[in-house]
Amino acid sequence: MLDLDPDEKHLLRRLLGEVRDLVSTAPIGDAKMQRLFPPAYTDDAEGEADYQRLMREELVASRLSSIETVDAILVAEDRTLTSTEVDVFAQNLNAVRLILGTLLNVGEDDDDADSPEMALYQFLSWLVDCAINSLMRA
Amino acid sequence: MVVEVECVTPVAAVGSTIVKPDSETDVEIRPDNPWVVLVWNDPINLMSYVTYVLQKLFGYSLEKATELMLDVHHKGRAVVSSGTREKAEMDVFRLHEHGLWATMQKDGKDGNTP
Repeated sequence: MLDLDPDEKHLLRRLLGEVRDLVSTAPIGDAKMQRLFPPAYTDDAEGEADYQRLMREELVASRLSSIETVDAILVAEDRTLTSTEVDVFAQNLNAVRLILGTLLNVGEDDDDADSPEMALYQFLSWLVDCAINSLMRA
Repeated sequence: MVVEVECVTPVAAVGSTIVKPDSETDVEIRPDNPWVVLVWNDPINLMSYVTYVLQKLFGYSLEKATELMLDVHHKGRAVVSSGTREKAEMDVFRLHEHGLWATMQKDGKDGNTP
């Protein structure tokens, strides 16, 4: 499905490693992680505090497990991926986009790759779109 | 870095085909299901990705998921599910796992229930 060359795989592994570090160590409320750990309640501070107390660690664990799944795919021999694997691949590349997009402050209509970071962001967008299209076709 | 990914479809953060919604039932708000889950628009998530996640998590048809995604995109947010508080929290959690910006609230506060 996806023909990633070794450089691309290495890049994605490096990016996922950075996400892994951030998910594990970023303090609660860290601005660049706000899209990975958004609030559940906007009008109920107590409800939100209760929710985060119960669910934040679960979300951290879920993300870390998910990253390991994709990393294993990237180091393995090339083969046809299952739908489940393409799905988790898309989710995790999207997680990189969520952090990078927040740092770059992307808007709805940013089309120009005027920096290496934007070019990377658009490459990731392309990969996510490819993955989703293959899942929608299946 | 050379990009050699084979992909038929160009990347698009816009422009899923607009389809007429079918006649399937909209999300029902009943007195015993007082909580609603909203997905909010954001400039990062692709429209195709949001549509896919709504289908995956809630079993919506492509048409219904596309309709909801377009509501998110054009109106700023849309109700994607409703139910008990516990169900809403689980739905929010699953949406957060997929990177969508989702919140929950008591039904009736937001004027956009379907």
